[in-house]
Amino acid sequence: MTIKTFFHGKPIEDAIECHEHVSPMSTYVTVLLALFVLTGLTYAVSFADLGPASLWVAMGVATLKASLVCMFFMHLKYDERYHVFVFLSTIIFVTIFFLFTIFDMQSRDRLNEEQGTFFRIEQGRDWSEAQRGNKAEADAAIKAAADAKAGAVPTPAMADAKAGAMADPKADAKSAAPGKP
Amino acid sequence: MSSAHGQGPKAPHAFMQHHYNTPEQQAGAAKLGMWVFLATEVLMFSGLFLAYFIVRMFYPDMVLGSHELLSKTMGGINTVVLLTSSFTMAMAVRAAQVGNTPAILRNLYLTIGCALIFMVVKYFEYTGKFAHGIFPGKYFDYARAAEYAHEHGHELVGLPHIFFGIYFCMTGLHGVHVLVGIGVMVWLVFRAKRGHFGPQYFTPVENVGLYWHIVDLVWIFLFPLLYLVK
Repeated sequence: MTIKTFFHGKPIEDAIECHEHVSPMSTYVTVLLALFVLTGLTYAVSFADLGPASLWVAMGVATLKASLVCMFFMHLKYDERYHVFVFLSTIIFVTIFFLFTIFDMQSRDRLNEEQGTFFRIEQGRDWSEAQRGNKAEADAAIKAAADAKAGAVPTPAMADAKAGAMADPKADAKSAAPGKP
Repeated sequence: MSSAHGQGPKAPHAFMQHHYNTPEQQAGAAKLGMWVFLATEVLMFSGLFLAYFIVRMFYPDMVLGSHELLSKTMGGINTVVLLTSSFTMAMAVRAAQVGNTPAILRNLYLTIGCALIFMVVKYFEYTGKFAHGIFPGKYFDYARAAEYAHEHGHELVGLPHIFFGIYFCMTGLHGVHVLVGIGVMVWLVFRAKRGHFGPQYFTPVENVGLYWHIVDLVWIFLFPLLYLVK
């Protein structure tokens, strides 16, 4: 008795067999060596002075490596075309995502100027200064608190500083042990 | 498993589900599902990549300056380790395709070993950063990080805590993927030991392989972007 089996609308012989492409070992070894060579190339490019092109070269080499992995390790070269379509469609959506967001971010400057809003921190005037400022404040507060404990007459300013030190026990602990762990 | 007698209608493999017509259809459905999952993985990582590109677009000096604090050697070692593990994983899938169970196990052990080496290197990288006050976002300790940078002949530029926020998010999410990969490969080892996989049925090995290759793909892009800025 034979049962006719259909797959993708066509009758198939030997329906219980799996028909997968098996790549020879040499393919895998060649791809691995190519990946190592391309990694070396990325590494070398990072030391060469290519200016703004270096990002594009690095991304180009990474894309080449990624396609090698996709085609041979992930078998996309021999696989159903539909899987290639699924995977490449994400690239299309990622491209839309990247391009639209970057266009938007880049074309905002004039709008911000017109409205007088500010969203980007100038390079140089930044976090480092703010943190240094906080640290100086905390140090002064701790010193004042120590003075007060030592029996000095507490002035209103010192009392304020002491309150500040109490409110920030983390800063206290950090300044007390500035050495490396 | 398939009949050894060669006479009469052969039975499909033991993991055949009744709602599929053929094993090939079953394998194809599983694989399509895996590819759709991989697509969502790419989309998830793309958000972090976009954050990186925007920060780099606005603060190129900061990204260039901060990346000097990362170890190119450790990043390079991890790249080679992960590429090798991708190769051994592909070998495990091939071994399953040709029905060589000892080779499946050997290659799975090698892949798990590479994944562990990757995580150990990552551990040393992270603790090396934490020891010098280099934490993500608001936990960044500018004074200690500046001192550390100065010792190594660099200066902190701009907003390094944002770069390291992105660095820890991207490599952290990738690291979680590596850990999950180790978990599913251990599951494969147990199943392979029971002789579940052969030329007729190797869908789990193949799909874990696809997952592991996408983890490799993400690192292929992360490495030049984070460690080799120019």
